[in-house]
Amino acid sequence: MTVQTIEKKAEFIAPDAYPQMIGKQNGVRALQTLQSEHVAMKARAAMEAHAPMLRDAILDHVEALEEAGTDLAQTFAIAHEIRNFAENAGMATAGRVAEILCRYMDEMERVKKAPEPAIVGLHVAAIARAARAEEDDAKMGEMVAGQLNALVSRRLAEAGAR
Amino acid sequence: MSGGFEYLKALIVEDNSHMRALLRALLNSVGITDIAEAAQGQAAIEALRLRRPDLVLTDLAMKPMDGLEFTRYVRNDQNSPNPFIPIIMITGHTEKHRVEAARDAGVTELLAKPITASNLFSRIAEIVERPRAFVRCDSYFGPDRRRHRTEGYGGPWRRAEDMEDVDVR
Repeated sequence: MTVQTIEKKAEFIAPDAYPQMIGKQNGVRALQTLQSEHVAMKARAAMEAHAPMLRDAILDHVEALEEAGTDLAQTFAIAHEIRNFAENAGMATAGRVAEILCRYMDEMERVKKAPEPAIVGLHVAAIARAARAEEDDAKMGEMVAGQLNALVSRRLAEAGAR
Repeated sequence: MSGGFEYLKALIVEDNSHMRALLRALLNSVGITDIAEAAQGQAAIEALRLRRPDLVLTDLAMKPMDGLEFTRYVRNDQNSPNPFIPIIMITGHTEKHRVEAARDAGVTELLAKPITASNLFSRIAEIVERPRAFVRCDSYFGPDRRRHRTEGYGGPWRRAEDMEDVDVR
């Protein structure tokens, strides 16, 4: 058997043949900066300082999520936003449940089946409850997310999705 | 400890104003203060032209021009001010086909939401410490999509398709 390969010419441009973001001299200092404890502390403080603003934004999203009702495209878009930065707002449980809802809706769309309104509703209610709680109860959140995840996995298997 | 980033200019492309503010604050914490912002791809092209950034952080899902289209413009358009600029794509859409689409558009690094400071900094460190070679062929221009290329390696190649991505002359 003769194996024939068609060689496609490609130009390979080495890193030292184009301008770098940071030159070699500054590169060492830049790496030290990125790894320094002082910078890590500043970054942590910056994240914490932004958390209240992010919390308010998540609560606005939660209201919009509840108002989305049967509009599934809107529900998915808002749940995705919540999933994207709820954890940065200190609302890990809301983010985790939103992630499960997104996975459910994404997979159902992939197998071309409509998501069950009751499943969507359960997730929306859990997101709202977690987001409006005074404090993010990690243990309770883990339990709720675990149960919803199991339910979604079961329903997806029944629907022929992953 | 700070330094190394004093002269670096960054561009944040993100439709969520809260995320833009958070990213700006994180960049500030390493000493990057010259930061332009855009809420979607079209505005980012304008900012790219006017501000000439050295680093781009971009979201994927934006309207009307998303992060993939914006990246393709940066890498391939003849009017692009810097086709080699490092692009970190920040996205909550981490499904395999979307990751592959980002890679094929020419992003340098991918960062999953929710973001953490350490993840963002590790992507920037990767760009500083291990700058990627670029590949130009008929169907692609951008960072080498195979990360572990051995310098001076002349084959044999494991797959015939390897030759599409890497110069084997």
